[in-house]
Amino acid sequence: MSVASELIRGNTETIILAQLMKGDGYGYMVNKAIFNLTGGKFELKEATLYTAFRRLEDAGCIVSYWGDETTGARRRYYSITDLGRESYRLRKKEWETAEAVIDKLLAEGEKGVSK
Amino acid sequence: MNEKLRHYIDDLFANAPSTVRAVELKEELYQNLTDKYNDLIAEGKSEESAFNIAIASIGDVDSLISGLSGEKRTVNEKERKRSALITAIAISLYILSPVPVIALQDEIGMIFLFLFAAVATAMLIYNGITHERYVKTDDTMVEDFKEWKQNSKQKNKAVEAIIGSFWLIAVCVYIVVSFMTGAWHITWIIFLIAAAISSMIKGLFMLKQ
Repeated sequence: MSVASELIRGNTETIILAQLMKGDGYGYMVNKAIFNLTGGKFELKEATLYTAFRRLEDAGCIVSYWGDETTGARRRYYSITDLGRESYRLRKKEWETAEAVIDKLLAEGEKGVSK
Repeated sequence: MNEKLRHYIDDLFANAPSTVRAVELKEELYQNLTDKYNDLIAEGKSEESAFNIAIASIGDVDSLISGLSGEKRTVNEKERKRSALITAIAISLYILSPVPVIALQDEIGMIFLFLFAAVATAMLIYNGITHERYVKTDDTMVEDFKEWKQNSKQKNKAVEAIIGSFWLIAVCVYIVVSFMTGAWHITWIIFLIAAAISSMIKGLFMLKQ
């Protein structure tokens, strides 16, 4: 599991961008969606989440604004930019390339077993 | 609303500089954890375990603060070299200032001494004021802190420049008064008075801060 979460962590920013492609969201909302999508197996730490948000914001991939909730405290919403959409597509393509390469390389082991 | 959670986050951010960025991050974290806490309560968790799960999900806040610092800090090498050059020239002017007096042995030599000293002081003051200000490279709390630190250092430099020029004036007064009155045996008292005034200036600046 630790290796798996390590692999997932490497794609934190892409995962967040994928969530924001669907529409604006705030921190807990994004994290909850990730939690539900993975059937409760994976969840980002708050610190990891905000570090990723800040990095994406600095890179111009997302912008943030404070919502004006009438009840309770205000939430900070994040919105994906055109640059962010482009970045998402690039990152996704990169992942698919890496996935294909790793699949091919790891499949070699199976050949040895079948003999 | 949730005092326990609020206290916990206040403690986490106790050492963070009080900048807009830090306050916003704190507010955002608090809001998200409250949402999470309320969800957990709605799921039927006890208050105690909901609180524990919520704070366990924060992770490493130190990494959040230091991770934001960014590695793109640029030290302005050129600016530093220029500053060092100005200081070096000013100091050598100070050292060379008695040379005309020794060489010319008259009032013109004295005029040159003061001229040298005036130019050197002007250079040091100019350098003290225009010296590289820390410009933050990104809008994070660590950068905010560095800028704040640099700015307070800047203030001290201004005081140093004022004290420096003050001492120079004291030397001028001493020499002029001594030459005019010829009372060399007593005029050294000017330095004692100058020391007292210099301490007073420093004290005044400290009070202001």
